Amino acid sequence: MRSKRKTYILALAPFLLLCFLFEIIPVIYTVVRSFIPEGGTPGFTLENYINIFTGKLYQRAIANSLLISVLSSVIGLVVAFVGAKAVHEEKGRLKTVFMSILNMVSNFSGVPLAFAYIIMFGNIGVMTMVGANYGIGFLADFPLYSVWGLLMIYVYFQIPLSTLLLIPAFDSIRKEWKEAVALLGGGPAVFWRKVGIPVLFPSILGTFSVLFANALAAYASAYALLMNNISLLPIRLSEQFVGDIIQRPEFGSAIAVVMIVFMVLAIAVQNKMMPKKGGKR
Amino acid sequence: MNVEKKQNTGAKIAIGVIIVYLLLPLAMTMIYSLFREWIDIMPTGFTLNAYTELFTDTLFWKAVGRTIVISVVPIVLCTVFVLLAMYVVVVYHPDWNKMIQILCTVPYAIQGVILPTCVLSLYSSAPEPFGNRMFMLVSTYMVVILPYVYQGIRNNLNGIGAARLIEAAQMLGASRFYAFFRVVIPNIMGGVTISVMLAMAIVFGDFVIINTLAGGHFMTAQMYLYDVMKKSGQRTCAVIVLLFLVTLIISAGAFFLQSREKDRKDR
Repeated sequence: MRSKRKTYILALAPFLLLCFLFEIIPVIYTVVRSFIPEGGTPGFTLENYINIFTGKLYQRAIANSLLISVLSSVIGLVVAFVGAKAVHEEKGRLKTVFMSILNMVSNFSGVPLAFAYIIMFGNIGVMTMVGANYGIGFLADFPLYSVWGLLMIYVYFQIPLSTLLLIPAFDSIRKEWKEAVALLGGGPAVFWRKVGIPVLFPSILGTFSVLFANALAAYASAYALLMNNISLLPIRLSEQFVGDIIQRPEFGSAIAVVMIVFMVLAIAVQNKMMPKKGGKR
Repeated sequence: MNVEKKQNTGAKIAIGVIIVYLLLPLAMTMIYSLFREWIDIMPTGFTLNAYTELFTDTLFWKAVGRTIVISVVPIVLCTVFVLLAMYVVVVYHPDWNKMIQILCTVPYAIQGVILPTCVLSLYSSAPEPFGNRMFMLVSTYMVVILPYVYQGIRNNLNGIGAARLIEAAQMLGASRFYAFFRVVIPNIMGGVTISVMLAMAIVFGDFVIINTLAGGHFMTAQMYLYDVMKKSGQRTCAVIVLLFLVTLIISAGAFFLQSREKDRKDR
């Protein structure tokens, strides 16, 4: 009996080993390394962080990453709100079709998505050519290879994700509330402003943080579109460890830590805001 | 009534517009893969060349094979690891669930490019087996899918009331080990398959981890795609369409299982 009491711990070992070796230790190592002077000489320094926040290139990366993550999340949320509200009001087959399409296109991201936008709006993209042939300026000169083009791609993959996350939240809106507002003389606009959005606010904020984290860490679409020619945190992070330019692992570790801090903040908001599953009833 | 009707048309239009917006890039990619030239409103020169070339390209099939191997191995291992851990939690230490849950949430905070660079930074010059790129790759994928696998397993364990089921089996004379692996697991396998398939879709579509940890040395389907991208637009589109179809089949399978599972529970 005594030996048996200890053997069950062995069942936990593979899981714990995996988590420590490939989750916890890499993160701790990265945090520690970010405080070591470049070149690997032992010691403690804040220089890596100072370099991130004072270097033009890296300030740009932080600004671009935050801009693109916040904007794509907000735009994604607005569209998702309209979409989820429509699903809430629509019952029939269209709802099923819509849900299937959302699930389907949520797989369309990364390199394939970037390439789809290249054939549409790239230098010899279909839309670009049509724009040039027919004198439609904004199509012909569409700035795909820039932060704005990238933003458009990010918005695309945020929309299905945010809509799928918001749809369940709308279930909590009761028909009686709308009737009560109507009885008091308020239209749909009043209902959404005074009742609907306040009720949904925790879910909206929670969804926002999922979207923000999703955009901040995204790498594949940006890399496929612009390679290293855009200042974004994920691009700057990865080029410190892989690729042709001189590798700076200590400095790269500091970039990773900055990103982790943003991610943890987003997830903390999400944990606070997201309604707990199965908590009610 | 009138307001309701108007609202309904509004909802239909909103859904319609979003559907068109979401399907447009996909549709354009598909059309692009089927025509020789597309520089005006209508594409010209229908051809299946891109597909026939692709189907006869052994490099492509090898890449697909590698993708399947590199998705299946981590998923199977991860599922086994989590099941073993949950055995300890359910049978012996329900209070440890909190710790497991935290360990399975951390990957969210290091998603995307962060985890593979941290792993590479730690192990790139480590001795075997840690310095081995395949070992790093498999382990990193296991960590990435951990949240999904854990959630699937936990929800299903709660769903069937695993703790009570084990008590009942014990009363009938079964050991706790036997009860968990012969009674509980067969009952949750259907539900676990669903989360496994979702995890499969994630690994299948991964580019950042494979690119960071293996570079060009292990050409998966996504790396093949990235390589073709610089050569032929039409062919790239054909690869995208095929890979998308595969992902679709995987997630449609999960969806189908899910609805069947639901039916079974409702009955």
